[in-house]
Amino acid sequence: MDYLRNFFVNLARSWTAWIGGFLPDWGVNLVNYLVVGIILVLMPVIATLTLTWMERKVIGRIQNRIGPNRVGPWGIFQAFADAVKMLIKEDIVPSGADKPVFNLAPILIAGAAALLWAVVPFGRGMIGQNLNIGALYVVAVGSITTIAVIMAGWSSNNKFALLGAFRVVAQLLSYEIPMVLSIATVVLVTGTMRMGDIVERQVAPFIVVLPVAFITYLLAAAAETGRAPFDLLEADSEIVAGYFVEYSGLKFGWFYIAEYGNLFAIAAITTTLFLGGWRGPFVSVAPALGPFYFVIKSVAVIFVLMWIRGTWPRFRIDQMLAFAWKVLVPASLANLLWSAIVLQIGRQPEQLGPTIVQMILLLVGNVAILAVTGLLLGRAARRYAAQHGWAGA
Amino acid sequence: MTLVNDSTTVPAEPTAARPPTVGEQLAARFPNAILGASTFRGDTTLTVAPTGLTDVARALRDELGFDHLSNLSSTDWSRYRGYAGKERFSTIYHFTSTRTGERIGLKVFAPGGDSPAVPSLAALWAGANWPEREVYDLMGIKFDGHPDLRRILLPNNWPNHPLRKDIPRGGETVPFSMIWEDEEFQSFGKQIVEAKSVQPVPPKQADANKHMILNMGPQHPSTHGVLRVVAELDGETVVAAYPDIGYLHSGFEKQGETIRYKDFLPYTDRMDYVSAMSNNLGYSLAVEKLMGVEIPPRAQVIRVICAELQRLASHLVWLGTHIMDAAGVSHALLMYTFREREQLSDIFELISGARLTISYIRPGGVWKDVPPSFVERVQDVLKAFPARIDEYERMITENPVWLGRARGVGKLTAEQCLSLGVTGPLLRASGVPFDYRKARPYSGYENYDFKVPVMTEGDTYARYLVRLEEMRQSLRIIDQALKNLPDGPVWTADRKMALPPRQELDTSMEALIHHFKLMTEGFVPPMGEVYHSVENPRGELGFYLVSDGTAVPYRLHVRAPSFHNLQATDTMARGSLIADLVLVIGTIDIVLGDVDR
Amino acid sequence: MLSQYAFIGIFAVIAFALPVIGLVLSWLIRPKKSNPAKTTTYECGMETIGDTWVQFKAQYYLYALIFVVFDVEAIFVFPWAVAYNKLGLYALVEMALFIAILLGGLLYAWRKKALEWH
Repeated sequence: MDYLRNFFVNLARSWTAWIGGFLPDWGVNLVNYLVVGIILVLMPVIATLTLTWMERKVIGRIQNRIGPNRVGPWGIFQAFADAVKMLIKEDIVPSGADKPVFNLAPILIAGAAALLWAVVPFGRGMIGQNLNIGALYVVAVGSITTIAVIMAGWSSNNKFALLGAFRVVAQLLSYEIPMVLSIATVVLVTGTMRMGDIVERQVAPFIVVLPVAFITYLLAAAAETGRAPFDLLEADSEIVAGYFVEYSGLKFGWFYIAEYGNLFAIAAITTTLFLGGWRGPFVSVAPALGPFYFVIKSVAVIFVLMWIRGTWPRFRIDQMLAFAWKVLVPASLANLLWSAIVLQIGRQPEQLGPTIVQMILLLVGNVAILAVTGLLLGRAARRYAAQHGWAGA
Repeated sequence: MTLVNDSTTVPAEPTAARPPTVGEQLAARFPNAILGASTFRGDTTLTVAPTGLTDVARALRDELGFDHLSNLSSTDWSRYRGYAGKERFSTIYHFTSTRTGERIGLKVFAPGGDSPAVPSLAALWAGANWPEREVYDLMGIKFDGHPDLRRILLPNNWPNHPLRKDIPRGGETVPFSMIWEDEEFQSFGKQIVEAKSVQPVPPKQADANKHMILNMGPQHPSTHGVLRVVAELDGETVVAAYPDIGYLHSGFEKQGETIRYKDFLPYTDRMDYVSAMSNNLGYSLAVEKLMGVEIPPRAQVIRVICAELQRLASHLVWLGTHIMDAAGVSHALLMYTFREREQLSDIFELISGARLTISYIRPGGVWKDVPPSFVERVQDVLKAFPARIDEYERMITENPVWLGRARGVGKLTAEQCLSLGVTGPLLRASGVPFDYRKARPYSGYENYDFKVPVMTEGDTYARYLVRLEEMRQSLRIIDQALKNLPDGPVWTADRKMALPPRQELDTSMEALIHHFKLMTEGFVPPMGEVYHSVENPRGELGFYLVSDGTAVPYRLHVRAPSFHNLQATDTMARGSLIADLVLVIGTIDIVLGDVDR
Repeated sequence: MLSQYAFIGIFAVIAFALPVIGLVLSWLIRPKKSNPAKTTTYECGMETIGDTWVQFKAQYYLYALIFVVFDVEAIFVFPWAVAYNKLGLYALVEMALFIAILLGGLLYAWRKKALEWH
């Protein structure tokens, strides 16, 4: 029973002890790294296999359809069938393409999607590496995706792809700022960049303490992964498929896997930073529950993103960039400053996480920022409407 | 000059008892230009000398209020029975006043024998551009002063002008002439037929060095069919958009000249396949006008119900696909609207056996009386739909992203609309309260209490609101029609079109002969020409019929609303972003079968 | 400490090896029947007009320039945020000044309409 309570950590310990019996220390480390690495690298693939099925089911239900229901019970093997199709499909490289870059892009994007998982804490002690710069690592690795997408769009020698790549430059870069700033706010409040420690110090989930940072992060992350309503990089009704329009077969498959891997990753990071990660009832008694809470919270975040996808139109590029620079960046800067001020109140040395008073003050400030932003947005919307002769509405 | 009509008159001096007619006023103003006038079935047509066309047209527009160029077509008279005119070709223009609903036709006999030319009206009505190109393409009439006289429906290397009477139908060599036994079919994956394709020519105005020239379509998710829009882009900004059409051109007009009036009906289904009922209605009314027959009241009411159900179905398709343009295929509304349309398709299937290409409304009445359960099924629609339209509104109308996307996009002023010949919801969203159901009521629309929604903003959002309100008004019309559905026959009693009843065949030799003639030959209209238009969900759908007194139309022209509305693409999209161009195409609500015919 | 990065290094190798392995596997089993028609550029079924790699608007890169400024700022914010608890009031004032300057820059760009889409 005790073994089961912290099953995953205990399993790892037993495994280490077992191979430690016939391997030197560095060998144990190497084998462990390889095993953990392979498990984590497969996360995007696992995410794709499950999330594509989930997305098709969820969107199907939102659209009053059933969704996949032929391959296996409830269609759960549909994604596997798709994977096999991708694998055996002919690969077509357009004759005008810049071939080395064209071939490198899917590798880069899939690798970057996997790298993110190194710092995601699934539970107490269940993290690839609790890096001391974990939060910064997330940001840094996320940028590789941007480069890969530009490479893909540029090298295809296709106008739709090129337009997609142009949009990447503007969109991904613009939304990186609010994302970084909202992560920085969390880092400021917790005083650490270690993803594991951020969870440990989240006495109350930061969604109720820093709602502005949460909303900013979620929107920015949706934009970074090209999720609706920010899916301008691959807007099917405008630029067909955007940057990967010329890809086929498994190269297309890697873009697809990276997309869903990133989707799961941002949901996981949102969970870590704002939803209390693996925290939940009885976790202190049975840490093995942590990963389950973690996955449930992540899937809830993903569900919300799918819900938005099923019911919201897409932004236009000018509106989207204006939203990043004129709304999210000022709001998150204000939030950062306010958090810094609050943390000075009743400051204790070596404090781990905010105190109750600080949390309440943070919340008050966040609500105020939200209200002001909402007011200003409403005014801007009315002005925009009036510009186009819609004064009454 | 002889005109074969039932009453050919020289315009008389206006008498004191009545105000002068438009024709008389024009004849007084342009004594040299107006060569004659005729009235047939209430359609007044003036014959105008080519040199005077522009002046007469300008006077019509600026002084007499005929601000809408409804229709522009042409006829080749070389095989017309008893035709003794000097000129082989004529063009015809139908003008409508958006204030009074009055209509007048101008006919111009084009001088120049086999290479005729008439003055272009493109300087007066920007919307004359495409119809004139169509006439040039299909009939070979040149328009002097036209800004861009190129073929529009057929490929540039097409050898002839197919609507000319000396060009046989199907006589051209078509490259796709293989049979299944040919060896080439064994090796799929190669190019099957060595068809010589025409190099896509960039529009001559486009600057390929400075700007990116992007083909949107024919295979593009948001062009709603095989439309090609060549977009000239500066970054994301649309510098200009050149629609390129004709991919679906099927020569329906040429086909119509070879088959009997009643046999053309199924073709109308296949033009605007999203609103087949409305097309059936428009064609039937035109033929009935030509024949001069009366339709029994029950058939009229059934027609109104069907046409309005079809308007609902058509607007549902528009709504779903329009939102899809703005959101991507994952958006839920498309499936919702198709769920609703399913209910309407079921009703069509109930009454006609077909769901898409219905052919239910026919010249002479409707195919068969509706089954008893029809009323109940339509009542179900009336019960369910208001709540569903409200549901769509809750989902989209106040959505901030949709507001931001739709407002101020694809703006058209009332003047631009009238100049471009844009009709339907686009015109009404720009502040012109013009609806043929009110302006020139047909099928008893004057008996129904309904409103024509009008907005003045003239952008995509206004058109969205107008169409949603039109759906509600359609429900009102259906409700009233259903309550007042009279009993009686659904086929005209006029023996010109109606078969004699079965029992009469046993007693009357004349009835038997008449039956035989109607069945083998078809009904025969008198010589003459009519133009009749109805309010299709997309705008003005008109049919121009020329009869030479046989059972086969001598000339059949379709004034397709999508064709004319699509002309506005460039005006609406210029200076906006690519994303807006997609919305602009969606807001026009084109059906490519209707555009290309 | 260093072992952490050793893990990241090994992990990176595996992460980039996986797609390569996948592509090699796919290369082994997929059909290879290319022809000129297949490898033409996709542009809605039409032959492409003009060059794809044309001069294009600098608009997109204006955002990239503003981004660089802010991203560099973010690099400074992170260490400050981690050490904030130890630094005290002085750090607050300093960072407030820093952010104020940045906000000034943002306002300037805003006023100069660098944030508008032309």
